[in-house]
Amino acid sequence: MIALNQLRHERLMELRVSGLCCGVYAKFMRPGSHFCPNSKSGSSISSSSVEVKPKIPLYLRPPSFSASLSELKKWHRWAKNLASSVGSSFVRLDNGPDSTLLRRELNWLLQDLLELQHHPVILSLLESDSNENVDTSVALKAPLEELYCAWRQRIEERRPFQYVVGCQHWRDLVLSVQEGVLIPRPETEMIIDIVERVALKTTPKLVHGLWADLGTGSGAIAIATARALATHAHAHAHAHGRVIATDLSPVAVAVAAFNVQRYGLQDMVEVRKGSWFEPLKDIQGKLAGVVSNPPYIASGDIPGLQAEVGQHEPKLALDGGITGTNDLLHLIDGAASMLKPGGFFAFETNGDKQCEFLLNYIENDKSGSFCNVHPVSDFDGIQRFVLGFRQRMV
Amino acid sequence: MATAAMGGGFVNVMKSVHHMLTSNGVGVLGKAVCASSSRYFHFYSVSLQSRGRGGGGGLQLFCCSRGGSGGCGDYSDGNTNGYLKLRDEELMKQCEMNTFKSSGPGGQHRNKRESAVRLKHLPTGIVAQAVEDRSQHMNRASALARLRTLIALKVRNPVHLHTYSPPLELLEILPPKSTIRGSDSRPQIGPNNPKFVLGMQALLDLIFAVEGSVSDAAKVLGMSTGALSRLILSDDSLRMAVNELRASKGMKPLK
Ligand SMILES: C[S@@+](CC[C@H](N)C(=O)[O-])C[C@H]1O[C@@H](n2cnc3c(N)ncnc32)[C@H](O)[C@@H]1O
Repeated sequence: MIALNQLRHERLMELRVSGLCCGVYAKFMRPGSHFCPNSKSGSSISSSSVEVKPKIPLYLRPPSFSASLSELKKWHRWAKNLASSVGSSFVRLDNGPDSTLLRRELNWLLQDLLELQHHPVILSLLESDSNENVDTSVALKAPLEELYCAWRQRIEERRPFQYVVGCQHWRDLVLSVQEGVLIPRPETEMIIDIVERVALKTTPKLVHGLWADLGTGSGAIAIATARALATHAHAHAHAHGRVIATDLSPVAVAVAAFNVQRYGLQDMVEVRKGSWFEPLKDIQGKLAGVVSNPPYIASGDIPGLQAEVGQHEPKLALDGGITGTNDLLHLIDGAASMLKPGGFFAFETNGDKQCEFLLNYIENDKSGSFCNVHPVSDFDGIQRFVLGFRQRMV
Repeated sequence: MATAAMGGGFVNVMKSVHHMLTSNGVGVLGKAVCASSSRYFHFYSVSLQSRGRGGGGGLQLFCCSRGGSGGCGDYSDGNTNGYLKLRDEELMKQCEMNTFKSSGPGGQHRNKRESAVRLKHLPTGIVAQAVEDRSQHMNRASALARLRTLIALKVRNPVHLHTYSPPLELLEILPPKSTIRGSDSRPQIGPNNPKFVLGMQALLDLIFAVEGSVSDAAKVLGMSTGALSRLILSDDSLRMAVNELRASKGMKPLK
């Protein structure tokens, strides 16, 4: 057992050293943020800056502000009315949110704004018409003025709700996000089910291998994969594997490292800055698994995206070139040499047609490289994922 | 059952994730042992490959049947006791999952907040849904927890009073002082514990067998009527189920 641990430790050291040139380790950091920045200042972060300071999401901030219940009630009524005034105009405009959704988001905003233990009481006070307790002081995690500004940004500028509160709930995780980092999507949650059910259950050896999440963004897939590896390793009573997460965006690298640290996974997930497989040259042909949700939208579709996405999320995270397949093709090519024989890959795609195109590409242009290749549909029945294993040597 | 207009979007019907992952085309996909009866369920998948986006997109439809008898809807089985003893994953396999679909390609294209999940438990037809959580995953977990409560409330197992001895899961929700628990000194499981629903189902089975009489049920359990009433009143859904039964028998509600 000791020997095993030592071995693992040495391997870790080795990886660390090899990652030094571009590896980023979580070393954090004062809250660098304001809840309500001047509009769009977030996206102006220069890509040359060496160290990006991740913003602290609202729910993690101390409740160092306060307002009287009546002031909070007034804001809440105003915010609800603003949400209602939207009706279904955004839906018609660009398939954006309707007022029902916006009001649900308002409830989530309150969830993050208030102290957990007071949340239910205050919520019922906010909804009641009575004038009791109006002078009670309520502890808040942001000042009231910022709340007016934040909700106006949400509705008038269509700033994504997740950037407003600085987090996205994804699977059982709460991940920090901010301008410059893609907000992880519900569809992508399924990649983890795929990893667990297709790879780890059928090929337990993969549990203690080395995995890569390419284009990690907030670190969502890498963190959830690491947790899955740990759970499955525990079940089989052997050492768990590790995940290397890469991204070209310095903001993504910083935010991913922050999230990794939040979940105490520094020993399991290493974040490296660089393009796709480039930061992984030291482990060519050694990967047990590669997972990725690369940019896959066709360049021509970018201008038509709903405002929350097209005007606020990073283009680097969305634009997959003329047909949207630039990065996916690159990843498939890379997987053929980076994976070890029997290694597993799963990629998210734009769905259906693009998925079929990639399946054909693998069959015709990569014949002999992979086996058990097939598509998997997402919750909406769209063929969303392509997955398979690297062919074992004969 | 294929697609239905709902809340402005579309609802796609498909069986649980597990099947989608093991499925590809039409045919027998796999077997899963049903823990309670150790019988096999066979899963069939029908993939309708038409891809009309407007109509809600590619549809996958899964159904399951027992022992190769074929076809959907063959769920008549006296022993229904097992559902709540299934692990989440196994119970999920008996469910059809609907998500609220808005038109369009999804994925990176959308800032999508509509992660509502609706589960239909095929053997019983019971439906549970969750919309208020912030991730698809958590909505699925909430819907599943809700489904367990509904199964406990709605699925009745026969009880033979003269040979009756209360099952362990019922003992666990009784107050620790109850004589019937004997020297068992484990703490009482309360309504917030996920295991409470198992005991609740067993308690309702008994109360139905004695036709709603709390004092008769208390006698069988060797506890005072007051103590049993307190237990019933400690959980809203349990209280409502008991009172509904009592109302149907012309009895006064417990308060
Ligand atoms: C669609 S986002 C996915 C983010 C995250 N994996 C998720 O699912 O939420 C694509 C990610 O790829 C990154 N990316 C784009 N080009 C890249 C490149 N050449 N090398 C590495 N990462 C890249 C973007 O910065 C972005 O974080």
